[in-house]
Amino acid sequence: MTKKWSLTLVLVLALTMALSACGGNNKAANNEPAPTNSANTENTGETNTPAEPAGEEASGLIKAEDPSLSPALANNRKDTMIIGMTDPKGVFSPLFMETAYDYYVNYSIFNTLVAFKADGSYENSLAEKVDISEDGLKYTYHLKPGVTFSDGTPLTAKDYLFTMKLFHDATYDGESDVLSAHIVGGQEYHDGTASDISGIKVIDDNTVEITVSEYSALTPVDLGYVYILSEAYYGKDYKQGNLESVKALNSKPMGSGQYKLKSYTAGQEIVLEANENYFNGAPKIKNLIYKTTTDSTNLAMLESGETDMNEINVSEDNVEALKALGFMDINLLPNNGYGYIGFNHKLKKFQDQKVRQALTYGLNREDIVKGIYGPYADVINIPESKVSWAFTDENIETYDFDLEKAKALLDEAGWVVGADGIREKDGEKFKINFSATADNPVVEALLPIMTTNYKDLGIDIIAETLDFNAIIDKKTKGDFDMYFAAWGLTPDPDNTVYITNGAQNDTGYSNAKVDELMAKAKKEMDTEKRKVYYKEMYQEMNKDIPNIFLYQRNNMNAINARAQGFDISPYKDFPFSLYQVELQQ
Amino acid sequence: MKQYIIRRLLQMIPTLIGISIIIFAISAMVPGDYITARANPNMSIEKQEQLRAIYGLDKPDYQRYFIWAGNMIKGNFGDSMQHKKPVTAVINTFVWNSFIIGFCSLILSWSIAIITGIFSAKFQYSLFDKIITLLVFICMSLPSFFIGLLLIKFLALDLKLFPVGGMTTAGLNGSGWIYIKDVIKHAFLPIMVLTMLSTGSLTRYFRTSMLEVIRQDYIRTARAKGLKERTVIFKHAFRNAMIPAITLLGFELPALFGGAMIMEQIFVWPGIGHVYLSSINMRDYPFMLGFTIFLAMLTLVGNLLADVLYGIADPRIRLK
Repeated sequence: MTKKWSLTLVLVLALTMALSACGGNNKAANNEPAPTNSANTENTGETNTPAEPAGEEASGLIKAEDPSLSPALANNRKDTMIIGMTDPKGVFSPLFMETAYDYYVNYSIFNTLVAFKADGSYENSLAEKVDISEDGLKYTYHLKPGVTFSDGTPLTAKDYLFTMKLFHDATYDGESDVLSAHIVGGQEYHDGTASDISGIKVIDDNTVEITVSEYSALTPVDLGYVYILSEAYYGKDYKQGNLESVKALNSKPMGSGQYKLKSYTAGQEIVLEANENYFNGAPKIKNLIYKTTTDSTNLAMLESGETDMNEINVSEDNVEALKALGFMDINLLPNNGYGYIGFNHKLKKFQDQKVRQALTYGLNREDIVKGIYGPYADVINIPESKVSWAFTDENIETYDFDLEKAKALLDEAGWVVGADGIREKDGEKFKINFSATADNPVVEALLPIMTTNYKDLGIDIIAETLDFNAIIDKKTKGDFDMYFAAWGLTPDPDNTVYITNGAQNDTGYSNAKVDELMAKAKKEMDTEKRKVYYKEMYQEMNKDIPNIFLYQRNNMNAINARAQGFDISPYKDFPFSLYQVELQQ
Repeated sequence: MKQYIIRRLLQMIPTLIGISIIIFAISAMVPGDYITARANPNMSIEKQEQLRAIYGLDKPDYQRYFIWAGNMIKGNFGDSMQHKKPVTAVINTFVWNSFIIGFCSLILSWSIAIITGIFSAKFQYSLFDKIITLLVFICMSLPSFFIGLLLIKFLALDLKLFPVGGMTTAGLNGSGWIYIKDVIKHAFLPIMVLTMLSTGSLTRYFRTSMLEVIRQDYIRTARAKGLKERTVIFKHAFRNAMIPAITLLGFELPALFGGAMIMEQIFVWPGIGHVYLSSINMRDYPFMLGFTIFLAMLTLVGNLLADVLYGIADPRIRLK
């Protein structure tokens, strides 16, 4: 009897585990710098009433009212700053890192040739000068002289070549796709037919010349935004086709960055120590600790002084709670991403532009977005961050909620109201199966409004909530009508979400004009000219409605006012300015 | 007895094979894999295919099962995709933290439950019994995250008696006694909540079991012999009432190592529970399968232990 029970128990356990996966918080999946499409990272904690505080700043920095309220526990740490965050996976290697939190640690330890500036464009970091040939195929990087790794060995162009070899290795299973940079000889190294990458020439210790077979506007970033690993440290036992020895050093990183790793306790803390030889100047705070926190108590830890800084989910309640503390600087920044409702463009009913426009006019997006985020998110009409250089609001239709207009558009498209109140065309009833992630506050606010709005239009809508992976699965198989999800945005506007047969184009959207403009902009090096292409492209999308664009929300960094000097923007995460930060005594 | 144990151990082999097939089948049927769960929109289709080939996800399910099962037999659990480390290393890193709070709360809740259970049975329907029953039901019915957050609010934020969360004070360089004291301070609240949660049902269980025994004829006989009430309760009744508890103890074994997902999340305790949960969310197959098998094995061993102990404790039961 007991044995049978135990078996049933294991089964039930396994099943509940599998089921409990549905709608779990996938924050760990959120790979911040690279954009992500994860509907359930859009987790805000709590749903709020749409009451709008008058005259509130919805974005930007809210300064602490009385920094002297900072708790003694925090003030007593004179030379140590503690930053709270969700626990990283312990992959402290720029090669293999995947979660945003591993990135944060690596940002503090390693450096790239070029780095992102606050506005999303880039500037030289380890590089002193970059020469690009006329035809855009040859890139010469001149490294800053005298830069050393934290163990004292010099950082040279050879280390760059070594790092690129690791990325090209056949056994490389990280997420970077260096082969798409088309470095001459890269594919041969990957296939094992060459033992060197012929396109990367080390001219002297401080100069490296890279040749590519194809270029795009992204090439300078692909080649320059590479975290440089020390050949002497990581290359000891590396042989082409076997990265095991490099992987083994994931928990013992060594780079040229602001801080060096002192100790790591999985699930608890990462202790870093200032790198006195940092080439931009020694960090002002001697010790830096990343401490693991969770959504349920990260605010409480800031309050008690156990941490000095944390990213907090944006909601009106949380902003109010932080303001009430008095000693917190609150940094509200637009998130690099947006929420949207996708159409299955393979279905005939969604191929009509008028139908898509009607579904946008007929949805009260303002109410949905305000309902979830209060003033801390904007309704959007193009898939671009409002702080990007490519953003435009020139000749952009805002699709304000207008049921009459939506009805008129549907009538025009030939969908007329039938006897039962449901619209039909050629004998087909207008019915939408809507898929959305379970346990998601956005979906909870979206569904009731959407159902009511579309019923008023005479559309039969059936909603189901599913596990995130199940939705991705449906998306890939094309087995859906409409769904809610979110995309992340890269600093560069180029992507494959809206181009015909693009790698990420799961909705089957196709528009010749968008394809052409996106391709032109990708091949153009001059930002001013690219701006014009993207403007035209976004205007076309705005008219054509590839998706119903919903919102761009804010992110919030709460920082104890005793730490001053951060330079944070949506494109420049906080770790990049750590060395400038000072603790006020 | 020896023969019995050997036979039971051999029986475990087909059971485990069955379990492994079911677990693997469920994991294969769940939509998505590690690459889709990562959902990195920068990734080209070629790159996705390349990664699937490296991870072996491109092979048909039955082949993947045999490769995985073959490795498991050799003791190779594979590398966790999320942690980029061997599964056994990841389990070893986190499981002992879960064990610490699991073990302490087990000892506490059993001690409290046995004592309160016996007394509320002895004094059935008395004021003491009613108060205990009330308290037990309050503890049982409050959700764990609610008690957890409430205690953090009162004991950590308002009274500042305990830290809000974590296992050690960040940046503490203590060793030996200082370190142990720091961990105890951090572990107090999670242990307290876990104890509160499990004591309830255990108390009810022991009370019922005790009530049943007290009504038996041999207890009346013992009393009639003129034995002291204390001897009757603690020697004759208690030992008999405890026999069914052995089965319960067997079930506690996997729970000790399984971690408490909600508690660990609230108290930021670096246990295995949330690692397991995220491995399921991320479709980190090697870890999620490996750890599930580990728990299944513990359940089987726990049951065997319970059955053997049963035989030892109760001479009426003969193990064949």
